[in-house]
Formats: sequence, C-alpha cells, structure tokens
Amino acid sequence: MMDDAMYASQLFLYAVIPLMNEIGEQYGYFRGKSGVVQLSVNLPDGVEGLHFVLEDGAVTTVLGLHERPDVSLHFARQQHFNDFFLGKTKKMPKIQGFGKPGLLIATFRTLLKMASLLAAKTPPADEATKELVVRLYLYLLSRGISRLNRLGHPSVREWATKSPDRVYAWRVEGHPDTAAYLRVKAGKSKAARGLYTRSQPFFTMRFADLDSALSILLQTGDFLTLTAEKRLILEGAPEFGAKIGDFMQLVGSYIQG
Amino acid sequence: MQLSREKLITLENKAHELRRSIVDTVYHAGSGHLGGALSMIDAVTLLYYHRMNIDRANPDWPERDRFIMSKGHAGIGFVSVLADLGYLNREDLKTFNLTGSKLGIHLDATKVPGVDASTGSLGHGLSIALGMAIAAQMMGKEYITYCLLGDGECNEGAVWEAAMAIGSRRQSNLITMVDRNHAMLDGNTEDVMKLEPFQDKWTAFGFHTVTVNGHDFAAIDRAIGEALARRDQPSCIILDTVKGAGVDFAAGDYRWHYGAINEELSAKAYDSLERYHQERVAALEGA
Amino acid sequence: MGIAYTSLDTTKLSTAEVYAHTLCEIAQTDPRIVTLTADLAKSTKIGVFQEHFPERFVNLGIAEQNMFGIAAGMAACGLIPFTCTFAIFNSCRALDQVHTDICYQNLNVKMIASHAGTSFGQAGSTHHATEDIAIMRTMANLVVLVPADGQEAAAAVRAAIEHQGPVYIRINRGFDQVVYPQGIEDFQIGKANLLKDGSDLCFIACGSAVFSALQAARELEAEGIKARVLDMHSIKPLDKEAIKRAVHDTRRIITAEDHTVVGGLGGAVAEVIAESGMGCAFRRLGIQDTFSPIGYHEDLMSIHGIDTNGLITAAREALKMDFEEDDDWADEV
Repeated sequence: MMDDAMYASQLFLYAVIPLMNEIGEQYGYFRGKSGVVQLSVNLPDGVEGLHFVLEDGAVTTVLGLHERPDVSLHFARQQHFNDFFLGKTKKMPKIQGFGKPGLLIATFRTLLKMASLLAAKTPPADEATKELVVRLYLYLLSRGISRLNRLGHPSVREWATKSPDRVYAWRVEGHPDTAAYLRVKAGKSKAARGLYTRSQPFFTMRFADLDSALSILLQTGDFLTLTAEKRLILEGAPEFGAKIGDFMQLVGSYIQG
Repeated sequence: MQLSREKLITLENKAHELRRSIVDTVYHAGSGHLGGALSMIDAVTLLYYHRMNIDRANPDWPERDRFIMSKGHAGIGFVSVLADLGYLNREDLKTFNLTGSKLGIHLDATKVPGVDASTGSLGHGLSIALGMAIAAQMMGKEYITYCLLGDGECNEGAVWEAAMAIGSRRQSNLITMVDRNHAMLDGNTEDVMKLEPFQDKWTAFGFHTVTVNGHDFAAIDRAIGEALARRDQPSCIILDTVKGAGVDFAAGDYRWHYGAINEELSAKAYDSLERYHQERVAALEGA
Repeated sequence: MGIAYTSLDTTKLSTAEVYAHTLCEIAQTDPRIVTLTADLAKSTKIGVFQEHFPERFVNLGIAEQNMFGIAAGMAACGLIPFTCTFAIFNSCRALDQVHTDICYQNLNVKMIASHAGTSFGQAGSTHHATEDIAIMRTMANLVVLVPADGQEAAAAVRAAIEHQGPVYIRINRGFDQVVYPQGIEDFQIGKANLLKDGSDLCFIACGSAVFSALQAARELEAEGIKARVLDMHSIKPLDKEAIKRAVHDTRRIITAEDHTVVGGLGGAVAEVIAESGMGCAFRRLGIQDTFSPIGYHEDLMSIHGIDTNGLITAAREALKMDFEEDDDWADEV
C-alpha cells in the first residue's frame, strides 16, 4: 500500500511536470532551444524522473532518466520534492546546467508559470490563458487518474479492473484543443489528449464554455448547480459521472495537499 | 321520494318478465349462470326501469348513467334487460352461447350495445367503474356510475384496491352494490372464503355501507336515493339476496351457480316463477 | 466535487423528461389527455404533467391493477389516459387488466412502461422488465413501441395519441445516451428508422441497444466494415419489409435488445426471416434466458453483451474476422 506522500510524488512526476511541455509551447519559452531538460527525485525505491528533449524549440516528453541531461533539477529528498510542487517551499533543488543558461532560464520560467497557473484560485482574465488552464487541468486529471490506476490505488484500481473497454472524455464546447480522454479496460488505462473520434465515448463531461469548466476545475462552482443550469452536461449515467468526479477530486487532493 | 304502490307493482311485473326471460335464455343456451342472474335481477330492474338516466334510442348516449356488471358471468341475466330495452332483438337471446353469436357467457362491450365494459375476469369492474366516475368529474359531467359486484368476487384483491381508491377519493358519483347471495361456485361463501364481517370491511374502506333486502324494491330504492344525496362519502349497498330466487329448486342452492335446464325443468321453473310473482304482488298490494 | 443527488434532482437531469414535456404541450390543446400513476410520478417523470395539470392527473397509490382498470374506464368515456408505471408491473402484475380491460375492448389507453429491461439495474430482478416485449406483442390490438432515447419517446407519444387504440411505450429510467439529438421528423408506427446504411451486416435493435448498435457500426466502419443499423422502435406492427430487405442486402442479421432473447425483438425478427424463406446468418443478442444480476445498467448491458463492445464482438464473429488487441497502453504525455 502506498502512502499519500508517494501518491503525491507520483502524480507530480507523471501528471503535473509533463504539463511543462504545454506551457513552454504556449509561451514560447523554449523557442529555438535545443538540449535535454530533466527533473528527478529520490524516491524510496530509487530515482525517478522524466526529461524533455528539445530540438530547436520542438519538445518531446520522455518518461524516465536521460544519461546526460543538459539541465537537471534533482530533488534529493522526496519531502522537498512534494513541498516544492505543493507550493510550500521556494527552495530550489540541486541544479545542474549553468553551462546552458538559456535553457536553464527557460526551465525556471516554465516552472514558475506552471506554479502560478495551477495555484490560481480565480479564473484568468483572457481567453487564451483560460483555454490553457483548462487544458492543463484536463491533461493533469486524466493522466492523474490513469497513474493512480497504474499505482494500484485501491478505489481506482477496483474500478478499472471491473471496467469493460470504455472511454471517459472531457470537453469544452467550441474548444476542441482542450479536450482529453481516458480509456479503461480490464485494469488497464490510458490517458490521451484531444477528442476521441473512433466512436462516442462511454461517458463525457461536457462544459458549455471555458468559464463553466474553470468553475469546476478551480472548485468555485458545484456539479449539481452547473448541471441544472445546463453549463455542464453529463452524457452518460450519473453514477459514472459521480465516479469520475470523485477521482478528479482524489487527484486534486494529492496535488493540493 | 318513496315509490308508490303502483310503481312497485309495475317494477315487479317487469322483474317477473325478466325472470321468465332468464330461464328461457338458459334453456335455449342449454346451461348458464342461473343462480346469480336471478339473485340480481330485482336490483337491476330497479336501476334500469326507475333510477338510471338512459336513452332507449341510443345506448351510447355520452351523458347516460353507466352500469358496470362486474360479476360478468351474470350476462345471461343482463341480456334480458338489454333485449327488453330494445338494444338487442328478442330473437338474439335464443343464440346465446351458440357458435358465432355475439352473446356469450361474458358480454363483449365491443359487440353488444348497452354493455359498458367487457367484464368476466372478476375483480376488474370496480376499477373500470371508478375510471368512468373520475372521467365524469374531469369532464364536468353529471352521470352516475353504478357497479354491481358478486360477493364471491370480493375475494379478489383488485376489488379492494378499487375500494381503497374510491374511499380515499370520496368518489360519491359512483355507487357500489354487491349481490350478496351467500354462494359461489364451490360452495357457500362462508365455507369457501369467509367474507364476514362483510359490511364492516366496506365501512373500513371509507364507504357509507348499508345492507338491504335485495329483493325489496322500496328498500333498494331508498338506499340508492340516500347514496345519491350523500356527496361527501361514497356508498356501498349490500343487497342481501337469494341465489336463484324465484325458482324453487334452485333458490338458495350454490349448486345452481351454473346449471343446465331442459324442457322439464324449464316448465317447473315457470310454475315456480308464477307462484313467486303472485306472492310478491299480493304482498305489495297488501302493504 | 463529487455529485450527490436525490430522485427529485434526477428529474432535472434526465432525458425522460422530454416525453413528459411533450405530453404537457399536447395536453394544452387536447383536453382528452389525462395521466395516471401508481405512486411513481417522480420516477416515471410524469410528475412533470402533474405540476402543469393537477386536475388531469390521478395517483392511485401502489395499486397497478386498479390503475389499468381505471384507465380502461376513462378511455371508454372518451378520454385518452396515459398510465405510467414500471414496465415489470405493467406487463406482469397488471397483465389481466391490460389484456381484458384494455386490449380486448380495444380502448384508447396509452401505457408508458418505464425502467424497462435492466435499466433499473440496482433494483434487481423484482424491478427488471426482461419479458415484457415478448408478453406485450402477443396481445391482439396492442401497438408496441420501444423508443431509443428521450426524443424518440416524445415522438412515440405523439404517434400514440394519433393512433386509435391501445399503445405500449417502453422506455428506460431516463439516462439514455442520445440517438436523436435533433429529434425525429418522420416517426411512424410500423416503420423502422434506417440510422446507417451498409451491406456487410445489419444490426436490428430497439431501446438502449440502438445506441450500442450505432456506436458499434461507427467503430466497425473504421475497420472497413459497413454495418447497417435499423432502429426497430415499432415491435408491433413490425417493419417486415425493412427486415426482408436487410436479409437480402446483408445476409447477416444481429438483433439486440435489453430483453430476453426468447420471444422479444429477436423472436419477432426470427419469425419474419423464417417465413420469408431466405437464408442468412442470424444471431440474437440480449439476455440469455436468465435473471439478471444486480448492477448499474451500463455494466449489465456489458455483461449481457448488448453494449457497444458486445455488438462489435458479435459482428466480428458474424464476419469471422480477428483483430489485434490494442497494445499501446502508455499515457500520452
């Protein structure tokens, strides 16, 4: 059985940090840059991390450690890692990469931006940022639930094990680039970006607009009110919606502390 | 308003004709539900020849009072009334139960004019009657719905579902009547499935319940009059009757729930009916 | 952030409300429409009608047999009563009244039978209606309709009112996947809806299985298989011509229903195929002559093989094709 700290670490690693890819692209921090940027942490069972391979601004996210990253942020203690991503500390991890200051600065800027976007309690003012935040959250939550399944989190694993081949999707009307989905089948799960087009997903959480999505994701509004106002439409039975809602909340609870 | 002696004798004369017709129909059909037809005929005579608002020229007149004979097997008695009213030809009665006839043990409302519901599956009629009464309410119509049940029929749970609803709704434009002839197919009611205390049961379901002599026109009429005047509570009139009344070899005998009449028995029956009629007329004249 | 809701809340969320609103709309100009329920106004959504027309609504409490008898009496007096109860009680408990008071007398009673099939999964077999299509289609004079979603249910209600005689409309608990988002223009009793054309095989489905068939056909299309999908909402009268055409055009028929495979849609289609003298591959999907376990409706449909995946599997078997298992289960990053 994993403890909460471990679940948190795993979610930061595999659901939160990968978002740097989206952020870097949106704000152009990595434009023109090349090299490998890695984030890693010492966990009880060993070092885990992921790295971003940049080729002239194009970013590929790769899970796992690189032999010789150009920029490396390594957290020697799990507690520090968790606290950092919970926003409880600004103390930096062990940094390597001063030889590539441009890349290093781009990494910091991305991290800082991510922190400010995800920590926000109120919606951003402009449309583009709203879209980005919704996308970040939906990717985070879909990957988060899938990761919890892989880790064997009891309630998520139980649900995934019993599931026939089903797709659970999130989308916002008029903003297809914010969509994400989760495919589940007999214990296996896969988080993916975009709209699932092969057939209609088994369940879709459909938001009427970005503001409706943000009100749920930033937890300023509640499911029932939004559904009654038709700002949130659950396509599929409410029992399954409730389950997904619970898992979204579960992921949130780990990464928000 | 009390029935005059003349009216009572007129009703008795009509009832006598109908009883004869019932025996005749059973004879032509070969067999039939004689007992239950004879026990109810006095009440039905009073209804159709004094109380009910109907149009002899138009059995489907929308404003007519409705009559649901929930004890559908008494169809062999009811057809005599329908023929007398002109809704059927007298000759049709001779085809009762024969192949291809529109008349059979349980009358088909879609085929026989003047029949408001195809009863026969016991326990259904009171619900149907309630539906008609509610429809009257919803449409703002004044017609009254009468429902006649058999006593054995009251074993059916569906009867009590309807009773509960009638009591709950205080459906006073529906008048429930029970032909309490104390007998059913397999024996006397109290030997097969006890109904007593029968009146208490209806009262418990919210009805104003009375028990009257089911062969006394005046008594039945008084009860109906009071029921019609009572708007705040539905009424149930238990008609204490004799199964097979008028035919001495059948009277009071549960075995005549259903029986065969040949020529010999038919002659005996007419004799008995004649004496019965004379006794009753004498009683009315003397009263 | 999770959802908690009551049965009252679900009336705001469900697709079954569409039929109830349609009924209210029609009732505005047609005074003959009245409704009855047996203590299930909230569950069957007819409570919506009650709010708008309280004087034309009757609640009989938990007494279904009485309700159907009353409906018969009302119809005999010229009203158009809509009864609303669970399909299991409509078709089993009150069948004598349906048969004798309503069908035999050919009365204008319209029966909304909700929570059909295993849609009330959590309630178990006491509340499942898995034999009602078979039972009801044997009743002479009765029209039997099984709409696929809320919009089609509304269309069925309109058609039922125009039809002279008794009608049985079988719907689910109200959380159907949407098949007709824009509603239906040309709903006709006795005419199946062709949702998708194709010549490799034909799904003939009704009720909640229609969505499964549509999705299955879409997924099969991606693999190059062209499946025809017929929404056979009208079980009686059945669209025999559409069935015969499908047999001729595709030679592979798969029926799907949230109902036993004995005597329901599958049985009805089999009768047509057998009498037509035409040969074809034929498979009935549905509940395989058992009582259903407890579970959410969607899970039960999966267990009984009538969800999208179930139909896809059946289609592949009918075409005798194998496909590779999807191997890439890594999360996209």
